[in-house]
Amino acid sequence: MTSSNFRSWPLYLILTVISMPLVIMYVYLFVDTVTDTTAGSLIPDRFTLHHWRFLWEEPETGRVSIWTVTLNTFIFATCTTLINVSASVTAGYALSRLNLPFKRFFLGGILTLHAFPTITLIISIFLILQMIGLYNTLIGVILVKAALELPLGIWIMKGFFDNVPWEIEMAGLQDGASRFTVWWKLVLPQVQPGVAALSVFVFLSAWSEFILPQVLAPSGSAQVLSTYLSNLIFDDMKPDFNMFKSVGVFYALPVIIIYLIFNKQLMNIYGGGTKG
Amino acid sequence: MRRAHLLGLGFLSPALAIILMLFLIPVLLTVMFSFTNMSTATGISGGAYEINAASLRKLADAGAQESFVETLGKESFVVDDAGITAAAAAYGEQFANEVGSQMLGERFSSRRDLERAFRKLKSRPRSTRDIKKAANLFKRSVLNIRFETAGGLVGAVTDNGIEMTPDQQELLTKTIYTGWTWTSDNFALMAQIPYVWRVAGNTVLYVVLTLAASVGLGLFLAITTFYLPSSSATSFRAIWFLPRILPNVIFVLMWKWLAWDTGFLSSLFANFGVPPRNWMLDTGVNAWVFIVLINGIVGASLGMILFGSAIKSIPQSMLHASEVDGASRWQQICYIILPQLRWPIMFICAYSTLSLLTSFEYILLSTDGGPGGATEVWSLMAFHTALDNYAGNLQYGLGAAMALMLVIVGILASLVYLRIFNFNDLVAKPRIEQ
Repeated sequence: MTSSNFRSWPLYLILTVISMPLVIMYVYLFVDTVTDTTAGSLIPDRFTLHHWRFLWEEPETGRVSIWTVTLNTFIFATCTTLINVSASVTAGYALSRLNLPFKRFFLGGILTLHAFPTITLIISIFLILQMIGLYNTLIGVILVKAALELPLGIWIMKGFFDNVPWEIEMAGLQDGASRFTVWWKLVLPQVQPGVAALSVFVFLSAWSEFILPQVLAPSGSAQVLSTYLSNLIFDDMKPDFNMFKSVGVFYALPVIIIYLIFNKQLMNIYGGGTKG
Repeated sequence: MRRAHLLGLGFLSPALAIILMLFLIPVLLTVMFSFTNMSTATGISGGAYEINAASLRKLADAGAQESFVETLGKESFVVDDAGITAAAAAYGEQFANEVGSQMLGERFSSRRDLERAFRKLKSRPRSTRDIKKAANLFKRSVLNIRFETAGGLVGAVTDNGIEMTPDQQELLTKTIYTGWTWTSDNFALMAQIPYVWRVAGNTVLYVVLTLAASVGLGLFLAITTFYLPSSSATSFRAIWFLPRILPNVIFVLMWKWLAWDTGFLSSLFANFGVPPRNWMLDTGVNAWVFIVLINGIVGASLGMILFGSAIKSIPQSMLHASEVDGASRWQQICYIILPQLRWPIMFICAYSTLSLLTSFEYILLSTDGGPGGATEVWSLMAFHTALDNYAGNLQYGLGAAMALMLVIVGILASLVYLRIFNFNDLVAKPRIEQ
């Protein structure tokens, strides 16, 4: 909101000053990947593609190729999204529209589950996966990640279903369709924006996930980009920040692209689920 | 149950199955594990009974009599059928028969005694070395043998002629069992950890400071961007929303680069003659500043979005009216905007308290609790204890007990929140009875 009563420049000044550190970090994050800087100086002085060599060079012994790791990350994020969204869409509809025994109990339970974040579960999940032999596999991490995001997913989808007018369903039933057909043919198309938003949200969340792969699948073959990058940083005695940043930018690119495309939908979910 | 219920349950079942497997069972198992002494040393499946040098030391530490420990560790020599068969194969039937007929069932506490007895026999092997070897065939010891059950172990010990009182027997089987056992010691152990109160204090400090930073900064950003023309507001919002969406490994990497001794701050301050150092890890206070900044900015992104959309829903006419009445911007904020933001602020506080209490990824990646445990918080301590420590012995049981504390706090808090945020409004009755 702008108004003639107020001047805007003090706001600009304060906002610019406090945003400075972040902006500097963003700018250097990108600039450093293609330049070299003389030690002790702040201004980069030569152009180079040397820091991106991890893309085409053979990996050092003991390390996995970045492309394998990227593929793993993609499989991890996609499967997590599929499982999470399908379970959320059905459960959200049941909780929003269908007759259920113990409905209050289920709803309260799902809200309470949200109070169990990773650390409270990960120790026993770690032991469970070891007992059933899914430790160090992508399948294990996918299942766990999809489950941990489920309460939020159900809650968001319930919000979207709540906003669909009852008249649509009543009209469908009047015309002789079953409850299932009504859901599949009439209601689901209505909540498409919700499904899209939730998919993007879960995909990004899985793409960024660090703790679960780190604990549940630490070995080379099931590595994902987050653990790859953190191992790279952790192993190095003399840090090569330009190279870390190149891997980081490579890792963050899908996130940034998705963010640019789905800006609005994401704000909706991060801003507390649905409108209202 | 009516048919309509079945449809609802059917729709719910995939989610229920996943929740049952990966939420309810893990929570129950966390409770179970927190009453065991499970660790890397005990393994997670069952254990076995084995007497060896290490377990004898443990036995002595546990208060067994010295003589008892010594007898267990000693070898004994028993003339039994197995030994006789072996002797027959090595030194001939004649010797074996003589040993069998004269000495069957006898015990010797040292090899020398057995050798002396052998020397009295007519058909003994000629050389001293052979006698020694023959004696070795009769060596019986419980050392370094795995027994699956306590009964097997006790039987073997008794067979070797070692007498045990029931007390000693119980102490023995309890101490040398290599698997995990039930115990309620974890909570006492937790209270005895010398730094546990400091960690608890750190946790409170972390939650309070980060919450204050993220709510304060989030409010500030939401209000200031509200007053800016929409094009510049969008770019500032983008700058401040990115931390929430960037993978945490990368976000922390940027801060590490900023603080490293060859990084931005050191290079910048070098111009003013300040020697380079790692600004994040060189003192506890610095580490705290970075922890609060990193987590606070991520929290502020969420706050900015939530508060921003709440401000947008304030009727514009109220603001216009106040302007006509000559309200300053400060008065608008205090009397119109902030009162309208009461619920979003409460929601953020409630939500963030819980998630901060249990989130540790940013701390793990940036300071890892350092320097010297200055920034170790409760959830990180549980993680370190159970899943990642330098000593290499991961104490699952103790770590689960620490996590259980968080579970209890989490349940209590969410019950309180359900009351505050009017749960009943969220549950509406379906309008189709089919």
